Amino acid sequence: MREVLDRIVDIAAQKFEAEYAEARAQKLFKTAFTVKERRVEVAKQGIENGVALRVLVKGSWGFASVGALDIETLTEAVSDACKMAKAASSRLRMPIKLAQAKAVEDKVVLRPRKDPALISMEDKIKTIMRLNDTILSFDDHVKGCTTDYLDLTGTSYFLNNTGSYIEQDKLYVWSRIVATAFAEGIFTSSREEIGSTSGYEVFDVETPEIVGERAAKRAVQQLKAKPPKGGSFPVILGPNIVGVFAHEAFGHLAEADIALSGSILLGKLGKKVASDIVTLYDDGTIEGAFGSFKYDDEGVPTEKTTLVKDGVFVGLMHNLETACKLNTEPTGNARAEDFRVDPIIRMRNTFLRPKDHSFEELIEGVKFGYYLKAFRGGQANLDGTFQVGVQEAYEIVKGAIGDSVRDASISGNTLETLFKVDAVGKDFELSPGRCGKGQEAFVCDGGPHTRVKEVQVGGSA
Amino acid sequence: MAVLKQEELQSIADDTIKMALKSGANEVEAYVYQGLATSIGIERGQIARSSRIIDRGIGIRVIANKAAGFSYTNILERRNTIDEATRRAISSAEASKPDLDWNGLPSKKPYSPAKNTYDRKIVELRSEDLVTMASSMLDAAETMDKRVFPVEGGTGASYLSVAVANSNGIASFDQGTFVECSMATVVRDKSEVTPVCFEFNAKRCYDIDPEWVGKEAARLAISAMKPEKMETKTTQVIFTQFAMQELLYYTLINAVKADYVQRGQSAFKGKIGSEVASELVTICDNGLLDGGLRTHKFDGEGVPQQKTSIIEKGVLRSFIYDNYSARRERRESTGNAARAGYLSTPNVEATNFYITSGSKSPEELVSDVHDGLIVYYLQGAHSSNPASGDFSVVATPAWRINKGEVTRAARGVMVAGNIFKLLANVTALANNERQLGQLVAPWILAENVRVIGKQIT
Repeated sequence: MREVLDRIVDIAAQKFEAEYAEARAQKLFKTAFTVKERRVEVAKQGIENGVALRVLVKGSWGFASVGALDIETLTEAVSDACKMAKAASSRLRMPIKLAQAKAVEDKVVLRPRKDPALISMEDKIKTIMRLNDTILSFDDHVKGCTTDYLDLTGTSYFLNNTGSYIEQDKLYVWSRIVATAFAEGIFTSSREEIGSTSGYEVFDVETPEIVGERAAKRAVQQLKAKPPKGGSFPVILGPNIVGVFAHEAFGHLAEADIALSGSILLGKLGKKVASDIVTLYDDGTIEGAFGSFKYDDEGVPTEKTTLVKDGVFVGLMHNLETACKLNTEPTGNARAEDFRVDPIIRMRNTFLRPKDHSFEELIEGVKFGYYLKAFRGGQANLDGTFQVGVQEAYEIVKGAIGDSVRDASISGNTLETLFKVDAVGKDFELSPGRCGKGQEAFVCDGGPHTRVKEVQVGGSA
Repeated sequence: MAVLKQEELQSIADDTIKMALKSGANEVEAYVYQGLATSIGIERGQIARSSRIIDRGIGIRVIANKAAGFSYTNILERRNTIDEATRRAISSAEASKPDLDWNGLPSKKPYSPAKNTYDRKIVELRSEDLVTMASSMLDAAETMDKRVFPVEGGTGASYLSVAVANSNGIASFDQGTFVECSMATVVRDKSEVTPVCFEFNAKRCYDIDPEWVGKEAARLAISAMKPEKMETKTTQVIFTQFAMQELLYYTLINAVKADYVQRGQSAFKGKIGSEVASELVTICDNGLLDGGLRTHKFDGEGVPQQKTSIIEKGVLRSFIYDNYSARRERRESTGNAARAGYLSTPNVEATNFYITSGSKSPEELVSDVHDGLIVYYLQGAHSSNPASGDFSVVATPAWRINKGEVTRAARGVMVAGNIFKLLANVTALANNERQLGQLVAPWILAENVRVIGKQIT
């Protein structure tokens, strides 16, 4: 593989005078299936082999992707990429430049305790069937259960013209569980996700019985829940919501490409953006976590990046291009979903650092507010407006957890909200998820229970 | 990589059918897909990237002992990789559980033409042409106002071709083209950043207007400046196509899919013939819409696409079906099996989800609003409750309407409610139909929408 990639990168550099050239080959194997109410929809297995070629010619990017590994096809593709980059450069005002990454030669071999590639399709189906059984037999009101399963294994080969060659094993195990319940004209839906880069052993911890019960219980409980009041209230965010806030509301704005596009964080480096007790990280080094890896898709080693330290905004997440533009070091955040797309800045495992409060201390002073426990999606805008949907919430009345609340969501301005964080818990939890930014990336997010003085709650009551 | 011709795609499909039947499959379907996409990308105010993606492969679905197995590969050059994928599909089926509701793959039926879905001019576009289009869009946006910052956007042209064959005699081929341009802008002025404003054109034939897109994206961003707060109230709201598409995709469109209904996951279960929306609302799924973005001769299973009435003057008429969900009810598929290229098995999905326009001009629609809101985009619609249709989302950007006129942008406004109640509260539709992804619709005015503003302190 190395020889072929070397020749292709060489063509770009020699024949087309590319300032930078990289080739990323992948051999991937996927197993996937969906089970709906104990019925296996289709058991799927697939092979994807291909190469992504990315070149910088006259300050402009050219990219080509082909599902082939032979030298003739790749030669044609790299020539295409170079010619297109040249065409695109005709209207360039500021030629793109890249930060220098240290040349790396490495081979990353994964040794999972339970390699999903060695587990039979029958066994995988059995595991997911146990999940279905747990959910559907939990309560008569549970009417539906959709469970997706996916595992991906394979190898990625990366080579560039600045001296790096990296072979890196890939391994992901993922499942999404949606339970639905119905009673007296009310539908509820509850979602859980499992995700790991360590191996199939994730099901030994997040067993089908534990996860199934969690999903089913929530769906049933929501049947008796009431809609939230619309307005501004104090809230306690559970680790799952803190995570989605860290990722969606703040994290995206701290991706250097988005910051440079004019997000509210542009020009705020070194400035106070949150209350003193807020410290946020994006960390690609947590072993087995769904957002972890050793090298990113530009060959840069991953790291633990501090985004906010004690309320001060200290760093963005970078790729080679934005690091050069802002005169700093790349942070290993360049990720591509597969060989069909080019690497862009993505998060890894994003979280809030725990502090000192117990849950009781967080809740005791709240006269009326909401405890928001589990999310159902979220989104942010460049102007700092965020929205987080909530699938499990409770009223807080006089310092105690009250009635269950259905289909709430919160919104506000990210920085205004970060300044209103007035107490951070001492517990900690990470949840796996998938993030969409044109491409899909596997990530984690989380933190401790956290209190916010006031946030806008959207409700129809 | 040379483009594979019709005969080549079809013979790959045919050979696969023969091989699978010989290897022990009871039924088999081959879906061979080829897509070529060229694009030019605008990033932070300049044309900065170009890309060409060639993606092709085969998805093989087999039935063995009433259990379904599926496998795919993106290597079509060597027969042995396809044979290996075929064997893997069979072994997957054997490892799976029988589905007692399985009632066979679809049979051959005649196709109607898919009008204006292929244009040679798009195939012939060069990357230089796409650069020119992107430049004129960029120039148009920046000429409007120097505070406008084109965050991202681009131009793209693509060609796709598909061959579907199955062991019941289907052996079909179709091809199509797409061309598009889009731009997202913000205005940055002193400390103010507006929400992202987006405009686009997407067509099957070479008939797009990059200049209009650039101008419009810029105009929206400028008008989103200096927003004001809005109080919490129940009022009239106009939803543009962008906002409608976000809302409907996660709620109403799922509710009319037969598999959701059969599994008790749809609020429309048992409601055929009942009133489910205002009598002004008429919706069909039109898989043959002239030049429609989702128009094809046949769906992902080789079944003819068609026009299916869903809601007629507020009354629920029909659901949409793929072959499997249709046969469970002993009826015919409505041609609504969609696939994500060769990578996926078919799923029930809307084609062109068509909401019939009204007679009012957009200006007349606005003039009907005494004190309300016009919502361009929604943030967070994917967090809606998919089963109940309850939503609680942020409207951004959105503009206030006062005494029939659009005034200032509104900041931090949430809209909460239930999609089915909202459809019952529709009081007018404009005549400005356009397509956005699946949705073809005009602006829609609804009454009694709950708007949650920031507490004014």
